[in-house]
Amino acid sequence: MFVKPITILTKTYNEMDLLTRQVEQIVAESGVKNGMVTVLTKHTTTGVTVNESLECLESDIEVFLSRMAPEDFPYSHARMLKDYGSTAGNPTGHLKAYITGNHCHFPIIDGEMVRGGAQDIYFCEFDGPAKRTVLVIVEGE
Amino acid sequence: MFIDMHVYPAFFEPINEDPAREEMRHNALNIHRNGTAPLEHIFNQMRCAGLDKLCLMPADYTSTLGCAVVENEEIRRLVDLAPDKFIGFASVDPMAPGALEKLEHAFTDLGLKGLKLHPGRQHFYPDDERLEPFYQLCEKYNKPVMFHAGLSWEPDTQTEYGHPLRFERVAEKHPRLRICLAQFGWPWVRETAMLMVKYENVYADTGALYFDCAKEFFVQTFTRDVPLTWIDRSLRHQVMFASSNPRFEQIRMAQAIGELGLRDSTLDLIRGQNAIDFLGGLD
Repeated sequence: MFVKPITILTKTYNEMDLLTRQVEQIVAESGVKNGMVTVLTKHTTTGVTVNESLECLESDIEVFLSRMAPEDFPYSHARMLKDYGSTAGNPTGHLKAYITGNHCHFPIIDGEMVRGGAQDIYFCEFDGPAKRTVLVIVEGE
Repeated sequence: MFIDMHVYPAFFEPINEDPAREEMRHNALNIHRNGTAPLEHIFNQMRCAGLDKLCLMPADYTSTLGCAVVENEEIRRLVDLAPDKFIGFASVDPMAPGALEKLEHAFTDLGLKGLKLHPGRQHFYPDDERLEPFYQLCEKYNKPVMFHAGLSWEPDTQTEYGHPLRFERVAEKHPRLRICLAQFGWPWVRETAMLMVKYENVYADTGALYFDCAKEFFVQTFTRDVPLTWIDRSLRHQVMFASSNPRFEQIRMAQAIGELGLRDSTLDLIRGQNAIDFLGGLD
């Protein structure tokens, strides 16, 4: 198994960052010819998703998720957390991450990551700005 | 101008080269799972919150913990990395030997802008006679004192040391000394308001968020526990915005203060001008 982290310093509260090229580079670096690659975020208020890389769709996804998890709502996740020593204030981030999921997979065939023509990999920030880590895990031979 | 008057830089990356020291800071402050923050992240956070400057607070707990959690010299280093964004305070442990000399060094050689004291953690009452030389030194150099007041989430703290009523003798005896009760002295916010309406040299900051979300807590604290009119009419020159970040949420608190329904002119005071007055200017 070949594992390489990608560190991202997000700049805004919610944002979508393309990871496709970086993941392809890590697949090439791994030397794996046939196998699978998994892209996995280490956080619970971020997501990893696959979609078409269009500005209009990025906007629609953000609006859709904001409608599903509006900021102004009496969430339970708004209290002091003793394990952190700080107040939880990011329920919308957790809920948006729940909707998008935290990983994606692609097959690797003949050393190439195989994806559909419209498929791109996105890292989704739902509680930024923050320092984030995504793991790229390459398995195979 | 929008200033956050109470920020703990304990986890800023430039002063966390040593993992053992970072671990000590997590335990000493009882703040966990937050990692360290590159300055670029701090600036991103400031931009999202609309903040222009942060007031950085060290913490010297020599007599109770055996060391300073953040040293005055580290504050100076951070300020030098971003002098347009950071304002540095000093901390000394009044119960530790040499504290008065250390404070004078912080004011004269390090150029720090005020003194941060934490009665609950440093185990003294603000009106203790042993504090007199420190207050006199602050008056001599025209430096304000930021007191942690009310509840503290740090370990080894006794809340009674920071009860607002223990600050009255200080305010009365030193009318030229500007003092701030951090967190509005929460939960004793009415007692804090009482001190502020009586003494013009008493300020309070907004850096508490112990229940609910920022908006809900601010609405409870600043419209119900203390009626908004008290702040908007009578205390408008003595309240300063603060988040106590990373304990609490800087961006959401910065947004919440703007949604309380205060007059725009009062908001301008709370966001910036009162802090400038408290500091005695920004130079």
